[in-house]
Amino acid sequence: MRDPVLSIRGLHVRLSRDGQASTVLDGIDLDMAPGEVVALVGESGSGKSTIGLAIQGLLPAESQPDISGSIRLAESEVVGAKPDALRQIRRTLVRGVPQDPMGALNPTMTIGRQMAETGLTSVEVLDWLTRVGLPDPERIARDMPHRLSGGQRQRVLIAMSMAAKPRLLIADEPTTALDVTVQAQILALLTDLAREQETAILFITHDLAVAAELSDRVMVLFGGRVAELGDTRKVVASPAHPYSAGLLSARFDLDTDRNRQLTSLSIDRDRRRPEGAHCNYQARCPLASSTCRLQRPDLKETATGSRAACFHSDRVPELLLSARTAPEWPEPIASDADALELYRIRKSFPAGRSTLFGKKRHTQVLAGVDLRIRLGECVALVGESGSGKSTLLRIAAGLTQADEGDVSWFGGVPPQVVFQDAVAALTPWLTIGEQIRDRLRPLGLNRSEQDKRIAEALNLVGIDPALAEALPSELSGGQCQRVTVARAVVVPPRLLLCDEPISAMDVSLAAQTLNLLGTLRRQLGMGMLFVTHDLAAARLIADRIAVLEKGQLVEIGEPDQIISAPQAPYTKTLVSAVPRLHAQEARL
Amino acid sequence: MSVMTSGPITSQNTGGWLRRIGWLERVGLLGVLAVTCLAVFGPLIAPFDPMLRVADAYLPPGATHLFGTDEIGRDLFSRVLLGVRYTWLPGLAVIGIALVIGSAVGVFAGMMGGWVDALFQRIVELFLVLPSTLIAISVVAALGPGLLNTMIAITIFWWPWYARMTRDEVRRIRSRPHVEAARIAGVSDMRLMLRYLLPGTVPALLIAATLDVANIILTLSLMSFLGLGLPAPAPELGAMTARSIDSLTTYWWLPILPAIVIFVMSVCANLAGDGIRSALRGA
Repeated sequence: MRDPVLSIRGLHVRLSRDGQASTVLDGIDLDMAPGEVVALVGESGSGKSTIGLAIQGLLPAESQPDISGSIRLAESEVVGAKPDALRQIRRTLVRGVPQDPMGALNPTMTIGRQMAETGLTSVEVLDWLTRVGLPDPERIARDMPHRLSGGQRQRVLIAMSMAAKPRLLIADEPTTALDVTVQAQILALLTDLAREQETAILFITHDLAVAAELSDRVMVLFGGRVAELGDTRKVVASPAHPYSAGLLSARFDLDTDRNRQLTSLSIDRDRRRPEGAHCNYQARCPLASSTCRLQRPDLKETATGSRAACFHSDRVPELLLSARTAPEWPEPIASDADALELYRIRKSFPAGRSTLFGKKRHTQVLAGVDLRIRLGECVALVGESGSGKSTLLRIAAGLTQADEGDVSWFGGVPPQVVFQDAVAALTPWLTIGEQIRDRLRPLGLNRSEQDKRIAEALNLVGIDPALAEALPSELSGGQCQRVTVARAVVVPPRLLLCDEPISAMDVSLAAQTLNLLGTLRRQLGMGMLFVTHDLAAARLIADRIAVLEKGQLVEIGEPDQIISAPQAPYTKTLVSAVPRLHAQEARL
Repeated sequence: MSVMTSGPITSQNTGGWLRRIGWLERVGLLGVLAVTCLAVFGPLIAPFDPMLRVADAYLPPGATHLFGTDEIGRDLFSRVLLGVRYTWLPGLAVIGIALVIGSAVGVFAGMMGGWVDALFQRIVELFLVLPSTLIAISVVAALGPGLLNTMIAITIFWWPWYARMTRDEVRRIRSRPHVEAARIAGVSDMRLMLRYLLPGTVPALLIAATLDVANIILTLSLMSFLGLGLPAPAPELGAMTARSIDSLTTYWWLPILPAIVIFVMSVCANLAGDGIRSALRGA
């Protein structure tokens, strides 16, 4: 290997929150060559973002970071560097592309001026805007950040970062907030620029498929330790750590068997970070033995050529085999009655006036949508942001009035809704039992009958009924999502509307939520509308997929038919944009 | 960012609230506690009867009479102790009553929306635009001077602030997803108001109220200063300062010491308000 751009040795980081220090990174070693793309994969809390921040010397002071080990960037040491030196390093050696591009741009300054402030001439600004694939760079340079779309802003930030010709670019989930179609373009742009400028990229993501699309090597992180490090293709094809295997089998794409439930990792997150002389994955590991509880495994070469921290690497292939035999979906209770019927729904929103006394302008969001969902059937509604899918869900829920058209529900009973942000959908100051109980109140049950129903509902979604006394803040995000599902089904509704329930989740949580929703709607015979921008999830969960584009249903049909032979141009882009695990093999 | 999300997602209720309070704010909270104790138990530890002549007039502060004596030889320290009770407890009472009225009106208006909200808003504004002190003075003049009437007068122009604040908070919380989720779950309007909206307004109101304690003390003192509060022999800190202001150059302790106590109470209340704000931040 040539002289590495980045060389991390024995990195330990302890951070405090509310006065309690815990180990976030526990002995990380990593070398990156110039122009190399390394993906850093792990679930929330694995410490992956902390590595990115530590390299940039940006660990938040309020968490009193305690760092040991060494991070060398080119010739400069980051650990223990003075603020001046760190600023110099950030200016010349390393740049970061954040998850939320709006937060990183100055909202009061045009794009052109912001880029000029970093020392670029106006010609260079236009050149860079062109290079990151922005149409009409002159117009973009004159625009304010809020006038651009999320994808355009992310391109601007990439342009600003790459224009500084850094040796290392740290991209922390730069595409999670973007549409799938845009995601694919941004990923391609990053890899192209890395090749061109020999910039190494550390790409932080929770999605192994995204990592597989673009990286040369992948580092799988669990609980602050490296679980596996190796050539991306090898790790994806034959993982040597049970956690990588779990991530892989929980990951679903357009090739996943949709007649079965997804295999999923145990997602019980230990509040305390397991420290000390044992494998920190052992509590969740199906292969765990007594050795794993007493000894910490070191990273060592495995038969597949990657390096994994596991005593039982040789048994990981068994795990992958057993993963293929996930249970099938339960037999659905279906019926021909309509759970939901939408008839010629139209909706427009006022969009300001063209002049002071001019007529109010309206933007049409839904232009005559017809949709029927039978009891026990699931229809997935896909479409990019701005296609009107959220508005349609709100109209179906009775939260928003349609301008024209009819909404009818089975038996006239309004549906229940599972929201995207489950934490926000729970009232912070009421216990979860209290919030579920509120759906039982109109039934006239006595207190102990109510308690029984609450316990049943919590059991159904896989939450310990003892947690009924807990406040939402004491639960993890995944548990909160389960609680909102429990609230929705404690009195089984005829129709369940799901508004992007998995878009903010990492793979293992997403797989579990899909299993839960798919099982419940079959068992309870509910109609379900599942709004998503993830075509792979739509294909797995739904009996039919409806594609919404600019307020109109452009296509509706069986998932496999839609995906194998997409008709509308938009559907075609959607299908090709879904990242596939074995993409690299297909390409090579 | 996934740095610290291994535990619960939100930062509230995690027991770290005490750490968020700075040392100055802790002093304020302790001060408030001390003042409340003094207001309740102060007269019990008063060395002399505050109403009776116990020594020569105009004794300067010394070992026996910590704050000296007044123009007829009453012990100033004992009078100030009683004065704390007459200033502090009415202040808390006014705030408490104003909070109850204000939040009830505010939650109702914010919850109903539409013309009810508009009507309440106009009524509240009517109170807010009137010159408050003048109104209070006229109310006391009409009802006759006295502590109770002063308290009524101040409450009348104090509650609209809380009403408006509660209303704004309710409007803010009402548009949050969890309230929408509760509506979908079929929660009744009454329950929605009391269990889902009202508790959310508590942090903001609590902060505003603690910061207002100082204002109330000063207003009460002002009313006494103008001769509208407690009638003459009763020791009220504002009144004590007012009546003795002429002797500032000759017997300085008479106006200055009660004024300092008012000042200390106000500062403590303000710091405590800041402390509560820090503790509730993020909640």
